[in-house]
Amino acid sequence: MVKVTLTVNNVKYELDVPPLERLIDTLRYRLGFTSVKEGCGRGECGSCIVLVNGNPVHSCLALTSRLDGAEITTLEGLAPAGKMHAIQVAYIEARGVQCGFCTPGFIMVTKALLDRVSDPDDKTIREWHSSVLCRCGSYPYYSEAVKRAAKYLKEGKVYFDEREVREKYHLKVLAR
Amino acid sequence: MSKPDYLEIVEEVFYKYKDKKTEEFKYLGKNVVRWDAIAKITGQPVFTADLLNLVKNPVFVYSVRTKYAHAKVKGVDYSDALKYPGVLAVFTAKDVPGINDVGYVIPDQPLLADRKVRYIGDTVALVVAESLENAREAGELVQVDYEPLKVYLDPLEIIDPETLEEKPHELIHDERGTDILTRYKIRVGDVEKAFKEAAVVVENKYETPFQEHAYIEPEAAIAIPEPDGGVTIYAKTQCPFDTRKAVANVLGLPFNMVRVIAPALGGGFGGAEDVGNEIAAKVALVATRLKRPAVLIHTREESIIGHTKRHRTISWYRHAAARDGTLLAVEAKVILDKGAYASLGPFVAWRAVVHSTGPYKVRNAKVDVVAVYTNKIPGGAFRGFGNPQVTFPVERQMDLLAEELGMDPVELRLKNVLRNGDRTVHGQLLDHGVGAEEVIKKAVELSGWYEKRRLYASLTGPVRRGIGIAIFYHGNSIGAEGADYSSASVIIQRDGSIIFRTGLTDMGQGSIQGLINILAEVLGVPPNYIKVEAADTAATPDAGPTVASRSTAMGGNATLVAAYKLRQRLNKLAAELLGCGSPDDVVIEAPKVYCKDDPSHAITWRELVEQAFWKGVPLQEFGFYRAPPAEWDEETGTGAPYFTYTYGAIVSDVEVDLETGVVRVKEATTVYDIGRVINRTGAELHAIGGYIQGMGYALMEDLYYDSEGRLMNDNLSTYHIPTARDVPEKFNVYFVEAGYYHAPFGAKGLGEPSIVAIAPSIANAVVNALRSKQANKLVNKHPLTPDYVYGLIKKAGVKP
Repeated sequence: MVKVTLTVNNVKYELDVPPLERLIDTLRYRLGFTSVKEGCGRGECGSCIVLVNGNPVHSCLALTSRLDGAEITTLEGLAPAGKMHAIQVAYIEARGVQCGFCTPGFIMVTKALLDRVSDPDDKTIREWHSSVLCRCGSYPYYSEAVKRAAKYLKEGKVYFDEREVREKYHLKVLAR
Repeated sequence: MSKPDYLEIVEEVFYKYKDKKTEEFKYLGKNVVRWDAIAKITGQPVFTADLLNLVKNPVFVYSVRTKYAHAKVKGVDYSDALKYPGVLAVFTAKDVPGINDVGYVIPDQPLLADRKVRYIGDTVALVVAESLENAREAGELVQVDYEPLKVYLDPLEIIDPETLEEKPHELIHDERGTDILTRYKIRVGDVEKAFKEAAVVVENKYETPFQEHAYIEPEAAIAIPEPDGGVTIYAKTQCPFDTRKAVANVLGLPFNMVRVIAPALGGGFGGAEDVGNEIAAKVALVATRLKRPAVLIHTREESIIGHTKRHRTISWYRHAAARDGTLLAVEAKVILDKGAYASLGPFVAWRAVVHSTGPYKVRNAKVDVVAVYTNKIPGGAFRGFGNPQVTFPVERQMDLLAEELGMDPVELRLKNVLRNGDRTVHGQLLDHGVGAEEVIKKAVELSGWYEKRRLYASLTGPVRRGIGIAIFYHGNSIGAEGADYSSASVIIQRDGSIIFRTGLTDMGQGSIQGLINILAEVLGVPPNYIKVEAADTAATPDAGPTVASRSTAMGGNATLVAAYKLRQRLNKLAAELLGCGSPDDVVIEAPKVYCKDDPSHAITWRELVEQAFWKGVPLQEFGFYRAPPAEWDEETGTGAPYFTYTYGAIVSDVEVDLETGVVRVKEATTVYDIGRVINRTGAELHAIGGYIQGMGYALMEDLYYDSEGRLMNDNLSTYHIPTARDVPEKFNVYFVEAGYYHAPFGAKGLGEPSIVAIAPSIANAVVNALRSKQANKLVNKHPLTPDYVYGLIKKAGVKP
């Protein structure tokens, strides 16, 4: 077993893990962050992408034992408790969610993209999004979500009140 | 005899709102945010494998699969596996307490192989251990004594393509005495005479590939033993009631002792039918034997090896036409590469034969569809279900004909397409609800067909552009496959909130949202009053399987019937309370309820519900709907196979690089006649998402086997599906609404139709880009991979 200290979504965890434990298993089954999805286990589908020290990483290809001291963000930690991140709101508004299995991967990649490029063009969005597979075919809607999110962030709107978002959007008719 | 009340209700509502524009409804046809969108974008545990965190003391189940594609099983020795650390048990065929079979339509597929294995994927033993890793490692120690048999990978080794007779061979299904699973035919008119008299005849051989569903969520199942000897199963399954039946058969339990719950599915596309039954039966067997929760989670490789595929087909088509373009006759032979087990193959083959002449007026037809077993992963249900496999050859043939006749492909299609008042090839009268002509015209307009056709013909250089059209029709729901019923229950709570239950599942397709929109519209409540319960065989009514583009039409009818009856009761009560002239004058715009001539004098929805409670007006209703029985004559292929059809026209605008053979779709136009748009967001997502999946089928997806029957591309590194970079830059989406009177507000299905004609539209566009008569004939299969396209560019002598 290897002793590691991880900060996941701003909470520090001291863990004893087998040397070959994958980060995805630590996050999903040891710590309960089920937004991290396993679709292929070999870095192809991108559903397990999380941010490690701000960089998008396939958590199915990373070993927890090698990440001592790392800061990790999953979808659960994108916004403080009671809040929702602008990217999440943008994904609701863009209407692209279907089965939703790949959505956490897309949102995390979007976060990494917008941390680096505040106003990405279509080509850049497609390049970043091509690291996540969506079989329902929501890609064009997810591109739209990135643009909406970029706009919010530019306006300084980073976090939204979760209750208000639910009231405003849950099963509500969207204006076209 | 009078009509059942549910038919009357559906018809009454259809005619009442027939002329009302979709945009005038409050919720129908609107972009309502999905009921589960917020749960999904916040990463809530909604999928089966997520629930593992909530299960204490689980055991893990691993399937030991055969390494031979065709062999006799002479014995299984698992004594070494049992000694491996953490291993609790190993189960084989002899441990199955009930019937060792999970065949979907016919009993030809053992859950655990007993006498024989028939493809690399058959399970010979289940290893159960304290961890998945240990179960997997111990699986390597299971020794199976095989006697290898000849492996058949090509159906043409088994069937003679000329006579369609079975050839002598070592039978895969010796217990059946034949490896021909099923034959269907159409015999209409006088084909021989029509060909003799025809001005133009075109013929060609076609092939369509296997397709893997590649839903991003691999299969998972969790079984919890119940104290009464029963079992509760959470599983990735499209059809929990079918899964329950399969599990009950395997365990030898009555249906009511098996409870199957379908959490959210990370995609299904038809693939989560059979495999859901299989994984549920495996964990249920283990959980009931060991009295501990049992968990099975597939890796991607296990998923691809372990679930069915879209059937590969080989077909031969001949079309005859008069000089003016009138279709005179169609003759076709279609062979379905069945793989090792029937799965839903008999129904797939039937849907293929029904649609085998396309959405055209055809009076002379001779068609044979034969499904032939091979030693490959079984073909099963996949969005489109046999229709894409025949629409590809039909729509390629139409472009061959157009070239022979010197006609524009659009004009040829308009000349022959089905219209109101026409009869299908089966003799079915289509007296209303046929939007085929309109979808073609709209697709032509939106895509700029004629301008681009002219413009692209003059382009030079190594990168060519081309534009192609394909049209289709698609029978809604299950037709003559079986009893076509649906049900839903609506329970208004004391506080006015509503619980909605149906056994239909959500795989991501969003059909549940369509039902919510219908319920909200009819009751007059905002959709957010409604909570949807997950499909659960112990709690939700059996609505039939979630397949065949039937959820919105069939599930919608059941929902409509329940909502209508509740609304009638509430209208009557509200009229009494408010003093309205008639119950029909009651307006419910929850939270407000009033008489239409006096909106200022209102009570609240909650007050109305409270009054109903005290006055004994039932606040719960069960909606049932049964489609009129379909008709099918096995000898002639005539009758009324489906109650209604969805129509569509697809135009693809592509770029072909003559130096590399790479094809890219630049713009796609999809126009569908879906009767009535119920859930606009869902419909658009299908029009676009279905296109993207169809583009994968057209350009990149196929399965590759080695000579021993081992699948070589069993993960997403080697089985390629479209990514964000492959998507066309522009989509034009439009819906025609030629309503059907036995569907909710006229709505027809779109789930499967959205993939049916994508591949031929792209193939036709590639041919248009190549501008070569020879290429027109050579583009007779897909996927149109760069090496295939480059090869045919060379063969046809197309020069930049």
